Amino acid sequence: MALQATRAAAKTACSRLSNCSRQVIKSSVSTPAIVIDSLEKWFPPAYSGWRAFLQPFAAPTSSALRGISLEVAEGEAVALLGANGAGKTTLLRVLATLLLPTRGRAQIAGHDTVSDPAAVRRQLGHHAGRDLGFYSRLTGRQNLRFFGRLNHLSDAIIEERTRALGERFQLGEALDRQTRSLSSGTIQRLSLLRALLHQPRVLLLDEPTRSLDAIAASEFRRFLKTEVLAGHGTSVLFASHSLPEIELLADRVAILQEGALIAFDTVAGLKAKAGASSLEQVFFRLTGRPVPPDVEARPA
Amino acid sequence: MMRTLRDLWLFFQRDLRIAGTYRSPFVLEAIEALFGVAMFYYVARFVDSPELRQALPQGSTYFAYSLVGFVFFDYLNAALDSFDRSLLEARDTGTLEPLLVTQVSLPLILAGSAVYPFAATTLRIVVYLGWGAALFHFPLGSANWIGVIAVLFATLLAFSGLGILSAAYLLLFKRGNPAKWFLLGISSVVGGMLFPISILPDWLQFIARINPVTYALEAMRAVLLGGASLLVIGRPLLVLLVFAAILLPVSMAAFAWALRRTKTTGTLTHS
Repeated sequence: MALQATRAAAKTACSRLSNCSRQVIKSSVSTPAIVIDSLEKWFPPAYSGWRAFLQPFAAPTSSALRGISLEVAEGEAVALLGANGAGKTTLLRVLATLLLPTRGRAQIAGHDTVSDPAAVRRQLGHHAGRDLGFYSRLTGRQNLRFFGRLNHLSDAIIEERTRALGERFQLGEALDRQTRSLSSGTIQRLSLLRALLHQPRVLLLDEPTRSLDAIAASEFRRFLKTEVLAGHGTSVLFASHSLPEIELLADRVAILQEGALIAFDTVAGLKAKAGASSLEQVFFRLTGRPVPPDVEARPA
Repeated sequence: MMRTLRDLWLFFQRDLRIAGTYRSPFVLEAIEALFGVAMFYYVARFVDSPELRQALPQGSTYFAYSLVGFVFFDYLNAALDSFDRSLLEARDTGTLEPLLVTQVSLPLILAGSAVYPFAATTLRIVVYLGWGAALFHFPLGSANWIGVIAVLFATLLAFSGLGILSAAYLLLFKRGNPAKWFLLGISSVVGGMLFPISILPDWLQFIARINPVTYALEAMRAVLLGGASLLVIGRPLLVLLVFAAILLPVSMAAFAWALRRTKTTGTLTHS
């Protein structure tokens, strides 16, 4: 029900706006790569002391996601925008099968994340946005080979893709150094490479350019737009606090506030809805915050 | 089946590569084993007597008896420790999350991560017994090696169930290894590690008889020191397999429940 309403809202927005992108129109008619329907996630409180023994059995009391419904079409990029604690990472973790939803359902390429997590993981590339996640005594290349083979890629394919993507991400010699000696930005690039290695149909990225320098971030965005989205037709759901990045990459933007989806539209659609000239103004207005004067005065 | 074996091999290769980056422990452990064996040899010379030899099963020397007990305990330790240690390491190094979004299931990740510790422990046992045979007349000549492999395999199956239960506990409560604490603690007294259980009071002997460690050690000494055939060790072997048949499905179910629970509470990667 909620899903149909979202779909209808997207169609209305598209018909109203002349610059609605091709992908958005496609999203309302083709098979969605990601379907999220009335998704809720509740967490139990964190116990300490002797009560920590009861932690595994504690009842969930605080909501992290509240009835989220949205779809991402094949080849579409959707950005998750929200303040810290809005539920962006929780949503990505539910889709990555690392968390079980409390209510509602989520599907990746037609596979349910709860009843068929193995099939979901076959379609999925996940970048958690952290500086950890590699074996520090192994080289970047050895790490990638290990994770690539766990995704059932042959050594030849892993080697070929590592070389090609390594060049794109300017990893160069870093691939043959132990990961303990790499900077956090290089680890991030390695993690993005790992997420892309098996050419997944759906890519979940949590703050993909957070630790990257300006050049690497720009190069990654260009790669994502031209090769991953346009070239391979991969669907991308990414969380980001960088508004220019969202404007550049996202076909649509989902704005989350305290676990609820408060808006889901194209950047142009959101601007029209909020009567704003920039995405920054949109964010302030739709989340009910007063727009600071400098943001109000800033030209689009 | 082939894919599972291939995945297990991948984890073994990973751990071997990581271990290979630390070269000195191999040499240090070999030297440590030499000191350990020497200590047991001289303790045995101090306590050995015709009366003691008579009390020992298989009529072996106290040195051989205690060395088998000591090195075999290392193996039990690995079985009880490997699963939750691999989980702990993956969690603390942040590799658990990337592993969990690959196409390999968590039980297989744990099993794979236990392959190298088992192999390393087996190698350590070989080094201990090798030093014993080369320098202190440990009687390797009469061993039934097929029997040794059969006992190791049955022990591995029986105690892996406890190791998996321990990993389930770690998933839920984040720290501690109750199976190791309980079983190794009890077994150091009533498992027949350094002395035969026949010298214990009746009630402790009863506990020893329901402890799988007792059967594992009994069978291992029989094949290693006495060269017993598989037929002779049939009873302890059967007891170990019964333990495995009960513990493995129970532990897998408990682990699956704990995994589901931590994905529900959002504490899977918490420390």
